[in-house]
Amino acid sequence: MKKELLLFTKELRALFFSKAAVLFLIILSLLTGYSFYSAVSLYSNASVSAIGNPLYAAGFEPVPGLFVPLFGGLFLLFSLFLPFVVIPLIVSEKEQNTLTFLLQIPFSITEILMAKVAAATLFLLTSFVVMMPATLIWWMYGGHIPLGELALLHAGYLLYGLFVIAVSLFSASLFSNSATASLLSIFLITFSWVIDFGRDMNISPLLLTLSEWTTTRMLHLFESAVFSSSALFYFLTISLVFFLLTRIFFAIKPSLSWVISLAVSLVFGVFITLFFDYSFDMSESHKHSFPPHITAALQQLPPVDVSVYLRRSDSRFKDYEATVIERVHLVKSDLNITMMHGEILDEKYGLFIYKVGDKTVETYSNSEDEIFPLLFELAGIAGGVGVEEEPFPGYPLVVNQDKLIWISLIYYLLIPLLFFAIFIIRKRETKRRLSL
Amino acid sequence: MLTVSHIKKQYQRSVVLNDISFEVPQGVIVGVIGPNGAGKSTLLKIITGFEQSDGGHILFEQKKLATLDDKMALFSYMPEHLDLYPDWYLSDFIDFIKETTQYKNDDLLEKLGLVSVKNKKIAHLSKGYRQRLKLFVALSNSKPIVVLDEPFDGFDPIQLETMLEVIKKEKGNNRSFLISIHQLSDAEKICDYFVLLSEGLVVTQGGIEELRQQFGSENATLEQIFMAALR
Repeated sequence: MKKELLLFTKELRALFFSKAAVLFLIILSLLTGYSFYSAVSLYSNASVSAIGNPLYAAGFEPVPGLFVPLFGGLFLLFSLFLPFVVIPLIVSEKEQNTLTFLLQIPFSITEILMAKVAAATLFLLTSFVVMMPATLIWWMYGGHIPLGELALLHAGYLLYGLFVIAVSLFSASLFSNSATASLLSIFLITFSWVIDFGRDMNISPLLLTLSEWTTTRMLHLFESAVFSSSALFYFLTISLVFFLLTRIFFAIKPSLSWVISLAVSLVFGVFITLFFDYSFDMSESHKHSFPPHITAALQQLPPVDVSVYLRRSDSRFKDYEATVIERVHLVKSDLNITMMHGEILDEKYGLFIYKVGDKTVETYSNSEDEIFPLLFELAGIAGGVGVEEEPFPGYPLVVNQDKLIWISLIYYLLIPLLFFAIFIIRKRETKRRLSL
Repeated sequence: MLTVSHIKKQYQRSVVLNDISFEVPQGVIVGVIGPNGAGKSTLLKIITGFEQSDGGHILFEQKKLATLDDKMALFSYMPEHLDLYPDWYLSDFIDFIKETTQYKNDDLLEKLGLVSVKNKKIAHLSKGYRQRLKLFVALSNSKPIVVLDEPFDGFDPIQLETMLEVIKKEKGNNRSFLISIHQLSDAEKICDYFVLLSEGLVVTQGGIEELRQQFGSENATLEQIFMAALR
């Protein structure tokens, strides 16, 4: 066997046979079971009145209605528990001084780190395997599987998981103590939650700008079935930056070449994230895009400046953000939003002022049906005529309560027992060898 | 020949090593001896590249060893504190070493008495067996210089004799040894040359006869020489 493969096997063994990993997978199973059971019950109950009502049924989409709540448990576990599984990979080498042994084999620091990253990534994929029966059960219930949306959701969580691994390894490279390293990594991972909170509270314009670039915001794009090259490059860049920082701090002697690699990666990553923004709507309902004739008209529009006299926490702004801003940004990047504040905000509260060239128009409406004709008229574009697409049928599904037992059986019993059995078998193996 | 030239090390304002110089010729066992806190372990870490010095050089055959890779190709180092994968079975660990280093010789395992405990977990081995395992790791390669930090801790007198034999046999294969030992009676049994460190300085160095002439009578033990040198 090649020695690099042996090193990888060593890391797999250290990771998968650790008590933290077994506990993580058992908790993941229980949490997934709970989330899935609740999501299916809610989806099913709500579907009762949607059967035979096409307008209501169109709102039933499996990814936002079922799979995103299901992955909520995974998000919590990745953010708060995964560091405890990954950090010992480095900290134990430091505590036991086994790095001196590995370097003499000889393995390079880069090989040692790559083996650890590969093992942690495989563990990440194992988490998805635990989630997989939920998709199968949903399919067996007769539920619709939107493959593209689901693949994008998995890709988003895989990227988020990689970010968590990178931050955890970086924290471990700084400290020789698991508790300190875990605290730092959880602080770095949940930092974006603080920014999001500040954004919702409208605390400062700086937080507002920063909140556009948090991990949670980027992950939200994947959850919303929007493929964004910026979000992809964003996750790849921050993960690479933390991996390179780990390489720099884990080494016995800091190396200038790695510091240069870090600087180049950072500059290149930021550049490609900011300037190669290619996005498209992968949702089956096309909820983030407009009919082709509207899209074409929007693309003909010159830059549009919008002054919004609403607070961010206002539900009208949230609707406007979801139904207009985010969707328009997918086809037109020069829609510039300015949130007004101070006395003038109270004076004109609720108003939207659009500026196209030197012309302006005011409206209190936050609906695309009102806004687009105003904009097209202002720019002198005929954009209101076209063929409407087939309406999205929606996928309501009523699941008989008796069938929900499968979820409990698999997630509360079968999977936890499986992991527990593996743990016990390993213990018995110890006793068997000792008796030889 | 390995040359340690004017090595300096300090932590903040505390000087740990001050202008340390000596040589390790081929096929010779050099013992670094000295009281606790003399800087023995720090010196070995610097020589093997696991710690940075604040001055001085390490040379092999008059060529400066600049990178960690240079040093890894030359030294086989056994640190004092090394807790080898406690969750592993000894047999698995030995297989790992054999497969990664292409080491085929089972004689060393036999001599170190590790074959009889190979089905145990490393965590369940006694301190003596874990020391033997560390020695096996250090010797299971063909690197020309073996650096051992307190290798005889945890051995009873019979085990010690076996370990000394193993090291002498390896020395016979033209390998050089640099060993830090605080048990002076053990050092006297195995080392050809001594470097006495105290408070970060080389107090004296030389072969046993040379040191006897310098500090004591013809029959003085290393311990008596050591006490005389420190006075």
